[in-house]
Amino acid sequence: MKRTVVFGFVGTVLDFAGRGSQRWEKWRPTIGLCQHDDVLISRIELLHDSRSKSLFERLKQDIAQVSPETEVVSVEVNLSDPWDFEEVYACLHDFGRSYEFDVEAEDYLIHITTGTHVAQICWFLLAEACYFPARLVQTSPPRKRETDGVAGKYTLIDLDLSRYNKIASRFAQVRDEAVSFLKSGIATRNPRFNRMIEQIERVAIRSKAPILLCGPTGAGKSFLARRIYEMKVARHQISGRFVEVNCATLRGDSAMSTLFGHVKGAFTGAQTERAGLLRSADGGLLFLDEIGELGLDEQAMLLKAIEEKRFFPFGSDKEVTSDFQLIAGTVRDLKQWVAEGKFREDLYARINLWLYELPGLAERSEDLEPNLDFELLRFAKEQGEQVRFNSEAKQRFLKFAASAEAKWSGNFRELSAAVTRMATLAENGRITLAQADEEIDRLRLSWQLSSPGVIDVVLGERASELDLFDRLQLERVIQVCQAADSLSDAGRRLFNISRQEKAKSNDADRLRKYLARFGLDWASVKGTR
Amino acid sequence: MNKQLIEIDGASGEGGGQILRSALTLAMITGQAFQIKNIRAKRPKPGLLRQHLTAVEAAAAICGAQMTGAQIGSTSLSFKPGAIRAGDYHFAIGTAGSCTLVLQTILPALWFADAPSSVSVKGGTHNKAAPPADFLIRVWQPLMARMGVQQEITLKRHGFYPAGGGEICATVSPCPSLQGFDLCQRGALRSISATALIAGVPAKVAQRELAEIEQKIAGVSTAVRGLSNDQGPGNAVLIEIEHENITEMFTSFGEKGVSAEAVGKQVAHQVQRYLHSGAAVDEFLADQLVLAFALAGSGRFTTTHASAHLLSNIDVIRQFLPVNITQTQVEGGVEIVVS
Repeated sequence: MKRTVVFGFVGTVLDFAGRGSQRWEKWRPTIGLCQHDDVLISRIELLHDSRSKSLFERLKQDIAQVSPETEVVSVEVNLSDPWDFEEVYACLHDFGRSYEFDVEAEDYLIHITTGTHVAQICWFLLAEACYFPARLVQTSPPRKRETDGVAGKYTLIDLDLSRYNKIASRFAQVRDEAVSFLKSGIATRNPRFNRMIEQIERVAIRSKAPILLCGPTGAGKSFLARRIYEMKVARHQISGRFVEVNCATLRGDSAMSTLFGHVKGAFTGAQTERAGLLRSADGGLLFLDEIGELGLDEQAMLLKAIEEKRFFPFGSDKEVTSDFQLIAGTVRDLKQWVAEGKFREDLYARINLWLYELPGLAERSEDLEPNLDFELLRFAKEQGEQVRFNSEAKQRFLKFAASAEAKWSGNFRELSAAVTRMATLAENGRITLAQADEEIDRLRLSWQLSSPGVIDVVLGERASELDLFDRLQLERVIQVCQAADSLSDAGRRLFNISRQEKAKSNDADRLRKYLARFGLDWASVKGTR
Repeated sequence: MNKQLIEIDGASGEGGGQILRSALTLAMITGQAFQIKNIRAKRPKPGLLRQHLTAVEAAAAICGAQMTGAQIGSTSLSFKPGAIRAGDYHFAIGTAGSCTLVLQTILPALWFADAPSSVSVKGGTHNKAAPPADFLIRVWQPLMARMGVQQEITLKRHGFYPAGGGEICATVSPCPSLQGFDLCQRGALRSISATALIAGVPAKVAQRELAEIEQKIAGVSTAVRGLSNDQGPGNAVLIEIEHENITEMFTSFGEKGVSAEAVGKQVAHQVQRYLHSGAAVDEFLADQLVLAFALAGSGRFTTTHASAHLLSNIDVIRQFLPVNITQTQVEGGVEIVVS
């Protein structure tokens, strides 16, 4: 068993009780600590200044009487002002650093009942920072009419919070709440996404470094950035504003001035001074979406602003300062852009410390249902109208939404729009099967129209001249051709019924002629030319 | 000799401290190792306390025992004794232990050493929950002398809780043999005397305590004994009852918040209960006497009642010694026979 060693101040007030035998009737913390029947102190190191030498000697003598097992060591320290934080901290810090701790053989306690409140605070800080590998011990006098003697009570305080189950579970709960907050309370099931959010929570709380969010449009980058901001505000980590800008909207001179501000007369039309978004975000969070769209000059300025927290407003020769947390968003493969010289490598290196890829909705099919529920709630909140799916309609919609057919190219933004449409059209607060089907058709169509389908690839600009009728037909034909081995093979599949009535099949020829109507041939359809 | 390890369960029975001290004494004398488990298992602060450890360490010093688990808070202790060594021993135990309990543990072992010894124990001599030094000198020592023990206990200086600082010395000569005897009758009452000890406490306190006792007990003679202030603060009231065959002693201690009258009343009650019982030996002496008689191999006495710790003490004795101990209910108490 380890020997118990105590550090403490000679209590010039509490430990002082004169020299007469009546001193034993007063509770003296340092003496009391040595009188507990269940604590055996091998050594006590008592800090005192030269004026308290005689009090120390008295304590030493009395401890020898009540606890002969305890070695009493004098540690003379001279504090000109024991209420001066800096001085007391430095003194105890020096003492701790020069002390030869033997943690294998000794168990250390810091007695915090004696000494000034400042000393108490310093003990706490030094123990918490592990300069003293010790637990704190707090003593208190016996209560009136208490039968267990004059020693009073003692309480051990271990500052290692992980040792306390209740505190640990409290931390876990706070963390869960924060993670849930980042997910807007949506009980997402996609494990990759959940892991990522948990890490973002930790990083966002512990670090002020830039965060880079990658992902397709509508994956929730801007939404997440705002949530991170709100979480940091709730934890009192930042107090400034949330400033959001899409870099794709910034062009030319106005890009510089929007971001970095300008002075009056910096350029034609600059009639008044402008602070710029970076300065508006001082003490807050700046979210630069589509950071890849930023011009190279702006990139250079931004890098300086991140690294030095200083920059020159447009047309100014005086630097201004702004300290903000940066979150950048991009749909681009910035690494590729760096290779192509479109994005500065040094800026990329600076913002790439914490890189998170937000998966699109199609990659998170297990999260469709919780997001659907969330969108309905959002609608109810915004419109003041509670809307529910009937269960068949919900099943039908979810089945479609999770199918390979559902591209969700607009991701969560698109899902949100779909729910808004269905909820708006719902009768009596119910989304029926018919409404779900209608929405499914609408989504299908929009994906066919918007996606650069095979026709756009094969026909190029001429595709826009086609009727929808022809477009739909041609698209399927091209898809079959692309899956086929040869023109004849494709013909056989496409004219599978009518060819049976013909004595001599001419599938290949029929197909060739069909394609020719659109100026296409086998090679161009297969994409080999 | 039975060399098997004796196992004692500290959770069974009562009086954790007394079981441990009896086991230590018996182990030293018989040379048998023992292991005690679940020490104070059901208490709020389980395991060995400093007051127990002082006795364990003193015992180990006298017989060069090998121990495991002799630590604060330990719930299991094994004690493997060596030969008892006569010598000049000094123990400083502070106020966490009691000098008298340590002496009662180790002196019987020194009766069986091969040469005379002297022991000095510094610390508390007049503590609650332990017999005062006066009890050892006036009650225990004469009875042991009747059995053939040659020891001389001297109170050098009083040590009251919490200051301690007292000292008791004892000299012991080896005794060739122990003889048990018959202590079933007190014999005629010779005297009852009450002494109020005060150190650093107003004399008025002692006078009030004694006044209370004079009211309760007929024929008591009283005396105030003032000690020097530096031995204080302390206050105790001792009442010695001398019968033809036995002297008994009862004590109570003055403490903060308890009136002098209450202190006097408390000890007077104990005296009255003893006088009414008709038994020769009160419960605290019974623990010591049964151990001594068991070492002698014979003896009998009557006691006020068979307390729980007397019974668990008897259980421990039976594990170490091949003796037969019986208890019979008799008028006014219980008769204990060791054979």
